[in-house]
Amino acid sequence: MTNIKILGVMIGTISIYTWIANAIPQIESVVPEELSFSSDVSEAELVAAGGELYNGGAGCTTCHGLETRAPNLLTGYNGEGTIGTRCGTRVPGQDCKAYLHESMMNPMAYVVEGGFDPMVFQARVFSGAQIWALVAFLQDQGGVVTVTGADVAAAAEADAAAPAGGPAVASTDPLEIMRGNLCLACHMLNGEGAELAPPFDGMGSRIEADRIRRGIIDPGAEIAEGFDHLAGSMPLTIPDLLTARQLELLVDFLAGQGG
Amino acid sequence: MGALKSVFRLLGAPFRPIGSLMGRFLNTPFRQATAVFSLAYVLIEHGIPRIPPLFGLPSAPVPNTVVLEYLVIALVGILLWVSDNEERWSEFKQPIHDVLVRPDRRIWRGALFVIVPALVATQTYLSARPDVSAPPSFRAIHPAPPSAITFQGEQMVLDGLENPLRSTGLLEEHYEEGKRVYYQNCLACHGDGLQGRGHYAQIFNPEPINFQDGGTIAMLTESFVFWRIAKGGPGLPNEGNPWNSAMPVWENFLTADEIWSVIIFLYEQTGRDPRTWELEEEEH
Amino acid sequence: MLKRSRGRWSWLQASLPVAIVAAIGLIAIAIEPLAAQGYTPREYGDFPIIGSRAAIWIAAQLHLFFAAFVLGVPMFAVVAEAIGIFSSDDRYDKLAKEFTRLLLVSYSATAMWGAVLVFGLITLYPGLWGYLSEIFAPSMWVYVGIFFFESFTLYLYYYGWDRWKKGRAKWGHWGLGILLNLWGTAVMLIANSWLTYMMSPPAEVTPDTAPGMVQFWSAFANATWMPINIHRFIANIVFGGAIVGAYAAFRFLSAKTDEERAHYDWMGYIGNFIAMSALIVLPFAGYWLGREIYEFNQQMGTTMMGGFMSWLWVVQAFLIGVLFLAGNYYLWIGMGRIPGAERFMPYTKWMLLVLLIGAAVWATPRNMIANRAEITAMGGQFHPFLGVLGVMSAKNTAVNFMILTTFLSFLLYRRANKKAVVSWEKRGTTIQGALFVIAAAVVLFYGVYGYFVPSIVRIGFSVYQVLAVITAIILIVVIDMLMMRGAKSRGEIRWGEMPERSQYALFILAVTFTWLMGLMGFARSGIRQHWHVFEVLRDTSVDAATPALGYASIVISVCVLIFLSMVAFIFWVGGLAEKPVISGVGGGATGSAPAARDQEI
Repeated sequence: MTNIKILGVMIGTISIYTWIANAIPQIESVVPEELSFSSDVSEAELVAAGGELYNGGAGCTTCHGLETRAPNLLTGYNGEGTIGTRCGTRVPGQDCKAYLHESMMNPMAYVVEGGFDPMVFQARVFSGAQIWALVAFLQDQGGVVTVTGADVAAAAEADAAAPAGGPAVASTDPLEIMRGNLCLACHMLNGEGAELAPPFDGMGSRIEADRIRRGIIDPGAEIAEGFDHLAGSMPLTIPDLLTARQLELLVDFLAGQGG
Repeated sequence: MGALKSVFRLLGAPFRPIGSLMGRFLNTPFRQATAVFSLAYVLIEHGIPRIPPLFGLPSAPVPNTVVLEYLVIALVGILLWVSDNEERWSEFKQPIHDVLVRPDRRIWRGALFVIVPALVATQTYLSARPDVSAPPSFRAIHPAPPSAITFQGEQMVLDGLENPLRSTGLLEEHYEEGKRVYYQNCLACHGDGLQGRGHYAQIFNPEPINFQDGGTIAMLTESFVFWRIAKGGPGLPNEGNPWNSAMPVWENFLTADEIWSVIIFLYEQTGRDPRTWELEEEEH
Repeated sequence: MLKRSRGRWSWLQASLPVAIVAAIGLIAIAIEPLAAQGYTPREYGDFPIIGSRAAIWIAAQLHLFFAAFVLGVPMFAVVAEAIGIFSSDDRYDKLAKEFTRLLLVSYSATAMWGAVLVFGLITLYPGLWGYLSEIFAPSMWVYVGIFFFESFTLYLYYYGWDRWKKGRAKWGHWGLGILLNLWGTAVMLIANSWLTYMMSPPAEVTPDTAPGMVQFWSAFANATWMPINIHRFIANIVFGGAIVGAYAAFRFLSAKTDEERAHYDWMGYIGNFIAMSALIVLPFAGYWLGREIYEFNQQMGTTMMGGFMSWLWVVQAFLIGVLFLAGNYYLWIGMGRIPGAERFMPYTKWMLLVLLIGAAVWATPRNMIANRAEITAMGGQFHPFLGVLGVMSAKNTAVNFMILTTFLSFLLYRRANKKAVVSWEKRGTTIQGALFVIAAAVVLFYGVYGYFVPSIVRIGFSVYQVLAVITAIILIVVIDMLMMRGAKSRGEIRWGEMPERSQYALFILAVTFTWLMGLMGFARSGIRQHWHVFEVLRDTSVDAATPALGYASIVISVCVLIFLSMVAFIFWVGGLAEKPVISGVGGGATGSAPAARDQEI
């Protein structure tokens, strides 16, 4: 009898703890997932991946799941039907696939009210493959999926800063090289670019060619004064994307940018 | 010691009749336990909501889950108290025992047989009844930040990152700039008083954050706040549960400097200090 | 005295751990040449039904439970033996020996589970095993080596107990006990370095660093190594005490004679005393560990406290509340068997009140589970008053008050049947009271002041609170020892006259400690998330996601159940061997009436 009581107390205590732990919110820490598709990806795979993104990590349902914030894409909107049925007729001359893709790459293009548009520029958040998966998923909502493996492969190639693929651009024009490698996304040159990183204007008068070369090859090694907060921002993949000739052209060009 | 006792006696004089009345009723541990439990319920359900008004804040009810939690603690406490002394324990069990076996307590017994199942049935009905209110939402207070983010396409390391504007230019200018940014972008939801009571605030769940609260920005580093502004609701990690924050992704609309200056504005305006990475930083 | 041959099985049992360790060592060494011959081991194995993760989890957790037990109990035994030597009270010596006997059996269980763990790693996580063994190979050899020394020291310690019983030999024997603890601690330090490396690899180690290039010492003495060492060291004492308490409770409940009951009642008290005193310092060690984790990586810290694990701490608060309440409850019931304790009984309800309020504050979530209507009525996600109790300042204050109260319980218990004879008794008591008030005031002051300063300053405040409490405890104990010198007895403690309820409190304590250990193990291991070695070696297996608390709690419960059933078996075996002692000695030393000195520990 005593032993049964002891057993009861122990199992009872353990059960209470287990129950409490199961009664509170259950949160699993999932592994961040990276989508990678080859050109032979199947339609079903794309739709499934897109659906997972749409309902999960992409946060689409934050707005598109509620009538109040943005058009509901899955259950119909103002009697117009689901997105798959109406995407082809939204913009004259643009088919469903092109429309959906464009509306994610450049959402402002279609929000004509001009007001406040909180839609994320998806291209900044997702890879090309992920965006195509989302398009496939949306097309699947009442329409025909026309996204193919070729689209995905092309997009993947386009946004892969793929070191294996050799130089990003084949040009020998310094400006073309800079644009092709997105240098001007941060550095300013003659009014083109952004004022995030040290400007290219007047770079030659501030630092020497050697220092410029080192800055491209090993960006973290030395940080320009006043830009410590951006340490680690410059991509480390640049040296893999330039040919030796392009690197020297760039160095010469930048060293020549006097005051 | 003696003086203290007489003071107590003097203070207690008006309550003595009530005391003796209560004393007559509360003469068994079982009754005392019942009384203490009821008192605990009254204090939790009606006493705690009256505390904020003492500090000039609006009264606020206690959520049911917390009431339940406190009552369980009170019940455990009462059971420990009645059973930590052999004599009290047997006295406490006596009425329960009586009701269950004594022939002259048949009516009580019968009543319990009706009341207990009725209570269970009511509870079952209440919990199973269709309800229009939204289910309670669980949110992690401060979701774990990534150690680095991609800000406008560029990598930005958040670990150890300080607000760059604090070391360049004039604080007043950044403050003014931040004020402009705030009033042009944030006001509609977070409100004029920075209390999360903007015009649109009422329709959101979760509600916009109250910056004045000591538990929000005051507990966070500026880099954390930067991350939340830059990435908004869609950028929240999925560990944090049904995130349905309506916070836009501000990196699409604001520059880094605008975000940093609005952060300065938030801290200056609320009079809070950001959490720092190192203690030394605090001292200069 | 015990002159009974222990039979062949005991030698089998004694040599088992050694054989197992040798086997593991051979296999671990054999793996590398295989790899050199062009055989590439697979990254992950598969375990049927429950999966690799659960399998390795259970093996590691059970190994740890037993390891904690076999590290905690020797400390306990050595202290008990020393008290026995100093006070020439034979009961302490018997107590120490009884524990050591339990140790012998538990030791093989530890080694067996260790073997299960290593085989599990080799078969289920060969990639990770290969990585770790490449970095830590030398320490693994030392580890198995020490294991031999430890085993043989233990055999000497136990089997030599009766031979080296008197005079200088006894001191030598006691020295063996100390040596046993040193070996045990060394083993723990080495094993800790492996797992802390997985949590906090040195900053210079990146995913591209080949394991062969990792500096051994920087990997060994990594950021969280020392905090984990200290935390585990203290926790082992707590755990050992709690399990000993449960053992005593088990024997008390099944005791046939009053003498047995008296003996095991007393043993239960000692177990509870050790567990609770060590528990008092444990939060401080845990706090240091948490701080180091934050400093190592902010993201890891936030994941732990605010991210997907934030609810774990609500469960932890509940368990700690149970620990404090059960520990105090046991003492208060125990006062029923002490003449003179009546005069303190009226205070217990106020101490209970403080504990309950402390538990309530600790269990108050910052972010409450509330429905939409309630949130609107509260005016936001945070309750204006209760929300204040949800932050660290309030919780630190609450736990310090709970510690002070528990200490007061012990003090009253200790003093219950004594009557001081020193002239300054009254003044001494007043000073003790004043120290309590000062410590409480300091704790409260910093608790409240913490709301008005930035977080980074507030973190420092908990150190002041802790220091105030510890200082007060030490000073009060010193005063008490001086004051009670030569104290008159108000009557002997009636050991054995303990209601059965109290023994169940000891069981609940032991179960709760065990479960809490499992929970904290999940927290420590889970904050690595999808990394084997944090931000260095990624977990690419199917189980890479970190499970939710519900699933974790089920695994923990299974581990606790397996552990407790094995421990029950060990207790039962201990009882088999022990019977001749009590029946043989009869009404001898065991049954002798304990004096007031009993409580000196």
